[in-house]
Amino acid sequence: MESQAVDTWKVVSLSPLPVWALMLLVVALVLGVVLAAWGVRKEPSRVRRGLLWALRLAAGVVAVIFLLEPGVRRMQVAKVKNRVAVLVDRSASMSFPTTPGGPSRSQSVADALDALAPQIDALKDRYSFDFFGVDPELAPISVETIRAQPPTAGRTDLLSVIRALKAEESASTRKLAGVLWLSDGADNTDLAQGITPRAKAGLKDLGVPVSTVAVGQGGLKDLAIDAVRVDDFAFVRNSVTAEVEVHARGFGGKSVPVVLRREGQTVATKNVQFVEDEDTQVVKFTFTPDQTGRFVYTVSMPVFADEAVAENNSRSFSLKVIRDRVRVLLVAGRPTWDERFLRGLLRQDANVDLISFYILRNTNDESGAYDERSELSLIPFPHEEIFHTKIATFDVIMIMNFGNEDRGVALTAYDRDLREYVNNGGALAYVGGDRSFGDSSAAVNPFADVLPVEAAGNADLSVFRPRLTPEGLRHPITALVTGTTSTSSAWDELPPLPGANMTRAKAGATVLLDHPFAVVAGKSAPVLAIWEYGRGRSLALMTDSSWYWAFTSHVNGAPSRSYERFWNNAIRWLVRDPELTTLGVTADPPSVEPGKPVSISVVARTPDYQAAPGALIEIELRSADDGRVVGSQQVIAGSDGTMRIEFPPPPPGAYKIVGKASKDGRSLGESTDAVAVRAVGPELADARVNTQLLKDLAAAAKGTFFDSPGAISLNKVPLNEPPLVEVGRSKDQPLWDRWYWLALMVTIVGAEWALRRRFGYI
Amino acid sequence: MSLRLSRRAALAAALGLPLSARAFGDNARFVPAVIQHAGKWDTRISGLRRLAWDLQRRTSIEVLLDVRPMPLENPKLFEQPFLYLSCDGPLPPFKQAEVEALRRYLTYGGFLFVDAVDLSDASGFDSSFRHELSRVLPQSPLEPLPMSHVVFKSFFLLDAAPGRALNKPNLEAALLNKRSAVMYSQNDVIGALNRDESGTYEYDAMPGGERQRELAARMAINIVMYAMCLDYKDDAVHLPLIMNRRR
Repeated sequence: MESQAVDTWKVVSLSPLPVWALMLLVVALVLGVVLAAWGVRKEPSRVRRGLLWALRLAAGVVAVIFLLEPGVRRMQVAKVKNRVAVLVDRSASMSFPTTPGGPSRSQSVADALDALAPQIDALKDRYSFDFFGVDPELAPISVETIRAQPPTAGRTDLLSVIRALKAEESASTRKLAGVLWLSDGADNTDLAQGITPRAKAGLKDLGVPVSTVAVGQGGLKDLAIDAVRVDDFAFVRNSVTAEVEVHARGFGGKSVPVVLRREGQTVATKNVQFVEDEDTQVVKFTFTPDQTGRFVYTVSMPVFADEAVAENNSRSFSLKVIRDRVRVLLVAGRPTWDERFLRGLLRQDANVDLISFYILRNTNDESGAYDERSELSLIPFPHEEIFHTKIATFDVIMIMNFGNEDRGVALTAYDRDLREYVNNGGALAYVGGDRSFGDSSAAVNPFADVLPVEAAGNADLSVFRPRLTPEGLRHPITALVTGTTSTSSAWDELPPLPGANMTRAKAGATVLLDHPFAVVAGKSAPVLAIWEYGRGRSLALMTDSSWYWAFTSHVNGAPSRSYERFWNNAIRWLVRDPELTTLGVTADPPSVEPGKPVSISVVARTPDYQAAPGALIEIELRSADDGRVVGSQQVIAGSDGTMRIEFPPPPPGAYKIVGKASKDGRSLGESTDAVAVRAVGPELADARVNTQLLKDLAAAAKGTFFDSPGAISLNKVPLNEPPLVEVGRSKDQPLWDRWYWLALMVTIVGAEWALRRRFGYI
Repeated sequence: MSLRLSRRAALAAALGLPLSARAFGDNARFVPAVIQHAGKWDTRISGLRRLAWDLQRRTSIEVLLDVRPMPLENPKLFEQPFLYLSCDGPLPPFKQAEVEALRRYLTYGGFLFVDAVDLSDASGFDSSFRHELSRVLPQSPLEPLPMSHVVFKSFFLLDAAPGRALNKPNLEAALLNKRSAVMYSQNDVIGALNRDESGTYEYDAMPGGERQRELAARMAINIVMYAMCLDYKDDAVHLPLIMNRRR
């Protein structure tokens, strides 16, 4: 601390009473004066009235002096030299040239600070100047460092700088007199859209004037994709809109194409017309994802030869496409209680969009209507539409007691469509009954190929209770409750069923429930079987009485949700709910800044959905554009079946992550995800100088704005005066304990009493 | 949905070759089950049998033709999602255990169709049934069903709810979770189908005669179709065609 001691004095109150007590007494005095005035308000003589008021007021003033006990404090004080913080923006955008072909912004700051040295010297007796580099943390910096080291900070966060300044100020023993802040103002965080109330409050809280200096000028030619506004996820088959904010400098009157690509494939192209030389336009791309999963989309514009930054002409984003509601097609061979309870369940499920078709009348039924067209509510069965034209729009097709009906309604013409549907990732649930699994007419069952079982004779109509197989004990479809013991008990508690279709499981099928005593080809007849067919899945339930689990199970009054859980589990498994996959591969985060590694979290489970410790996991990072493998790793899963993998920073672009897992030579499945590696971070995405923000900051902090480093004049920079600090002992000398104050008091009070008596008030 | 009669199917039908259709056990079919109570519960047995026969003949629903008496305390109650209730005269009060069993039955998905076979209104069966229902479903009073309700288009397109009488234009229903769990007619719908031992209809259908009897049969079919398909005919895919036909 540098100081120069001087003698000084000030008037202080020496009263031992607390402030609140003093305040109360002063209020009482004021009331006394007011009451006195009130008492003589009817005095006809203005002179008398005025005299009495003046005397009471004078008495009050003297009384206040006695109360406050004023005194003179004599002391020795010193003036402390204050600090001025000079902040230099060290974000990467400071490497842009100030003018086309000119020195960098950072260089121009160094030049300006050199030129400022004489002015700084002139203020040395009152202020010390501290130089800080801002990235956005504050770190001491010298002009030499500014020249020698290019700025690299990945973001400009002016609000953080204000906070850092406050923290620095609180930690320092010396007061801050003012701030001089040199920056391009290209904030890309909270203040990107302009100064905010929070920033203003922060500056006010700082309590010192902040002057700002705009570094850099316009004139650079640049196209930049400033921002892409799109939700983190979208619903499959539902349109989604991405708003692309495009900024152009030096492209007034020109039209530029903006292209949206999904992993190399063009989704849409739009031309954007820039009107002014410095112009921002919003381009809206509305597209409809047709597949679930995570995809990397890239928005790009062509790069022109004389642009300041080429890398900010494209920007990638990751979009997770999920199902909005599972679209279920339910086809029933006729109205049954099985159909009725499943419909009731699906209709109540907000996650299910149910489309259903029931055969309400067979070809040999006679409705008894005179005019069927006007008397019946029946519609033609749209075979072609649902099993050919629109089959791909369904997430799950549920067939109940249908497939082997009379040939008038047979679907044999669509067996190829059904095979393709499942093979391409569709899901089929096939529920039993007398018209299923070849148990009825000789018609060929068009679903036969994609089912995990094949017909094996007539149904067994014995009452039975389905039995969990070892696979069923751990499978998510049959997990009515958590834990294998509880699951087994839950199935045992369900009512027995009145019959089952006889089938045999195909090779590769997994039987989850079987018949306790009906045997087919030496094995227990399957009751519930599943398998994967191509990219799709199918499930076969060999009974038409699952409704017993919904209704009959309540005979004893205890509520049971087993039916709901069973069908919910089945649908989730069929549509490959991510929580029910055996291998999960997830990019974390899904968008990576340039120069950052790609992190991937992996979860491996065994086919019975238990953690797969020791599983061999192979992960490949492939270019989404050409499929080229950029990196691959093999790791062993940890004790909980999870693992975290990191790939070194790849070049900018869109990448697919393809994972495979195996254990003991048996595949645990595959999984994919996508990750976008950005070409430029937010800092280099925009070359503009935000002079308005710097102006606003200076105005809010009662500082001065300079439009260039060369314009800085320290005389115009407002700085707080250095404070006075007491450095020696002080001495208090009372002023109130003089005899004449008491005499004055007695005289005033006595005079007022005498006059009041004379005027007839006493 | 109707199915175009293929040439082969037409031939099969003409030759009387029934489609092999046998649900797994009787309970997978539609079974006309009747609540067996302390009063005269069995006055519409032949009408229910006729309803089952009509369902088998006119629709794809597989039925059991024999009517099944069902005391409310019988555990087998929960194997029959459709119940019919009537009484010739006031309905004897249910025991508390019966009230609770019927409440549970309706809550978990069962359906009850009720006929006022004595054509009473605010007396006789009508008042006693309303009282008993208020014990079973105190939170779900009977409400008139609008003609837009799906029960009037679940198979046949209907614009009235006739039985052997036409005292009341509407059915009434008690709703549970937007589902009509109880439907009530004061027109004696099943009475229109009742036959005596000689096979002739037991009651005249008044005032519409045989045409009204046919409409009552259709109403009964629609009610069963609703019990088994719920609001299927309210699905969007059906609406344009139904609207067009109703014009």
